[in-house]
Amino acid sequence: MQVKKWLPAASAALLMSAATAASAETLVVWHDLGDNGINWFNELNELYQKENPDITIESVSFPTDQWFGKVIAAINTDSAPDLIYNNYERVIRIQNQTGKVMDLRDEFASISDKAFLSEADIAVATYEDQMIILPIQRVQMGFGARTSWLDAVGESFPQTWEDVLRVSQKFQNDDPDGNGKADTFGIAIEAANPRDLVHMLDLYTFGTGLRHTLLDPDGKIVINEPRHREVLVEVMKLFTSYNYVAPDSVNHSFAEMYQVIEGGRAGMFRVGDWNVKKWDAEALEGDFTIGSWPAFASGDKNAVVIGGMRGVAVPENAPNKDASLAFAKFLLTKDAQAASLNNVGAAVRGDFEMADLSDNRLFFAKPAHNLNAYDFPESINSAYPEVEAEYHARLLGAIDNPPDDWDAFVDGLAADLQKLADEKKS
Amino acid sequence: MTRAQPMPVWAHEMWRYRVLYLFVLPFAALVVLFGLWPIVQSIILSFASSSTAFRLSPDYVGLENFQTIFADRRFIASLRVTLLYTAISVVLNVAFALGYAVLLNSGYLKRGNTFFRLAVFLPVITPDVAGFIVWKWMYNQNFGAVNAVLGSLGLPMFGGIADTDTVLTALVAAELWKHVGFYTIIFLTNMQLLDPALDEAAKIDGATAWRRFWHVTLPQLRPAITINAVFALIQFLKTFTVVIVMTKGGPNFSTNFISYYAFQKFDQAAYGEAMAMATTLFVLVLFLTYFLYWVLERTDWR
Repeated sequence: MQVKKWLPAASAALLMSAATAASAETLVVWHDLGDNGINWFNELNELYQKENPDITIESVSFPTDQWFGKVIAAINTDSAPDLIYNNYERVIRIQNQTGKVMDLRDEFASISDKAFLSEADIAVATYEDQMIILPIQRVQMGFGARTSWLDAVGESFPQTWEDVLRVSQKFQNDDPDGNGKADTFGIAIEAANPRDLVHMLDLYTFGTGLRHTLLDPDGKIVINEPRHREVLVEVMKLFTSYNYVAPDSVNHSFAEMYQVIEGGRAGMFRVGDWNVKKWDAEALEGDFTIGSWPAFASGDKNAVVIGGMRGVAVPENAPNKDASLAFAKFLLTKDAQAASLNNVGAAVRGDFEMADLSDNRLFFAKPAHNLNAYDFPESINSAYPEVEAEYHARLLGAIDNPPDDWDAFVDGLAADLQKLADEKKS
Repeated sequence: MTRAQPMPVWAHEMWRYRVLYLFVLPFAALVVLFGLWPIVQSIILSFASSSTAFRLSPDYVGLENFQTIFADRRFIASLRVTLLYTAISVVLNVAFALGYAVLLNSGYLKRGNTFFRLAVFLPVITPDVAGFIVWKWMYNQNFGAVNAVLGSLGLPMFGGIADTDTVLTALVAAELWKHVGFYTIIFLTNMQLLDPALDEAAKIDGATAWRRFWHVTLPQLRPAITINAVFALIQFLKTFTVVIVMTKGGPNFSTNFISYYAFQKFDQAAYGEAMAMATTLFVLVLFLTYFLYWVLERTDWR
């Protein structure tokens, strides 16, 4: 009978498909990289399946603030994703809240091809003697200016703070976009949320070659030291006396700052390595030049800022831990890194073909400039977030009611913050 | 032989309406599950330490989170500005809605009445975020419509949302535009139920239009006034969307309302403090709502 003939074959096929299903695994990655990140993980999935056909990579992107809550809640309720992907300092917060981020030292030791990682890269990935991420993407941020605007006002790319002030004035007064309206500003900046203004100060401070913005590793407040003081006061004056930023900047966070940049309202701005692909193709249509941050004093070794490290972490209670660790290591391979540079604009290695990249993308991909990295104070000083929040609040107060004597303001602020830092330390 | 105990009244009532209760049961269960349980859970978490708040067995720290937030001068400032903003917004929204409803119900706007009704109600159904983004652009210091109009009239510029002195006014105006239509519709509905005989009797007695409105119409609008005032109170105490879209709590924390401050604390992983703020707001809403209801119900409107 036909049924008798086909039954063993059908049973065998059913068993085989059940066995395949049993060995197939889906690894879920939670990140905050948006569409670029989703495209990157899709490409990684295709690459990884060549060697691991039973494993599927699925990525889910959350807005950063939601990412925190979801990751913490999931890890603490044993419903964690297989991998989490984000900036190192955010993974530190996850570790502080859950204590369940895996120590990856052994996995890292087992990787043979890793000479491209610097000591600083590895230091950033380490927190309380544990390697909490594998470093995958360096976050670089340079200073940018609209090329056509510079041409229109007869200026070249600003190298010093004096240049920035002079160019700002021309950008505001000389109608650099040629629309006949006084609707342009010198610089795009953000100041709404606790991290916004401090982030901009960080960039100008590290960009002029200084090593710390607020606290040094010994817990000493540094804002009243002469070179720091100059950067702080000059950046604050952008809001209060130079007025080279849009008045609404006090309500601007990243989204609004991008609107100012992409909408052609400000001529100088921060350029992150992740911005370049989009700004080359649309929004600015390649009309921007990237360089180092301005030097505030002669002799300052100005730089592009390494603002952090994005990396992959594995929760202790990840559903498919072994497979997750194997995939995490794969992210450091040449193919995965090339995909990272192509989709997200950042990587930690550069030993692959880059001939197709634009000059702007090569600026970050093949850095030929001075680099200065963040000092990552939150990884060594637990009081830092509270001190920084107070710092931000006081600076906002100063923008609202500018002091007559900036030096006295900085001295008083430094004393108060030192007191707070010492209290928190004790 | 013992006599059977009579069924309690409540049990008798339940048995009598058993089919009705059976139909209501699933919805009641949903309300408990998705409405009450999250509230209870957030209150419980307000007593937990932030670092363990999302664990299966959080560490409870008693009133520590509440002590922390009440020792935070920024929270006190937030409480103060929330109450100030609510008081201004409730009075303005109810007053404007009442005035607009009276106007729409009168003979003065017979022509185009439908248009005016639509105009006032359209903002209510406009998505919050879209509406507030438009307002944000209108207040822009360089090319916003508000300053363009003021400038063309030779009037001084308005600081809008970039100035601590004007930001509350700017938000009150944007929210008035957004919500007044809803309160107007409630008033208009109540006005359909007014007894015209009372107004006519007062007219025959020689009462002026103002006296008739004050002593005849207004007392009959008490249900709508109570509903609108209570609803507005709840709405404005919880103000959040307009802040996150337009000001991010600024400038210089001048619109850092409690909901937004709690959201920021949550964003900074200070879950215990965030929940303590949310719980404080919840208690405040309950207390003030009950108080306002009690005052409005006790007032002699005649």
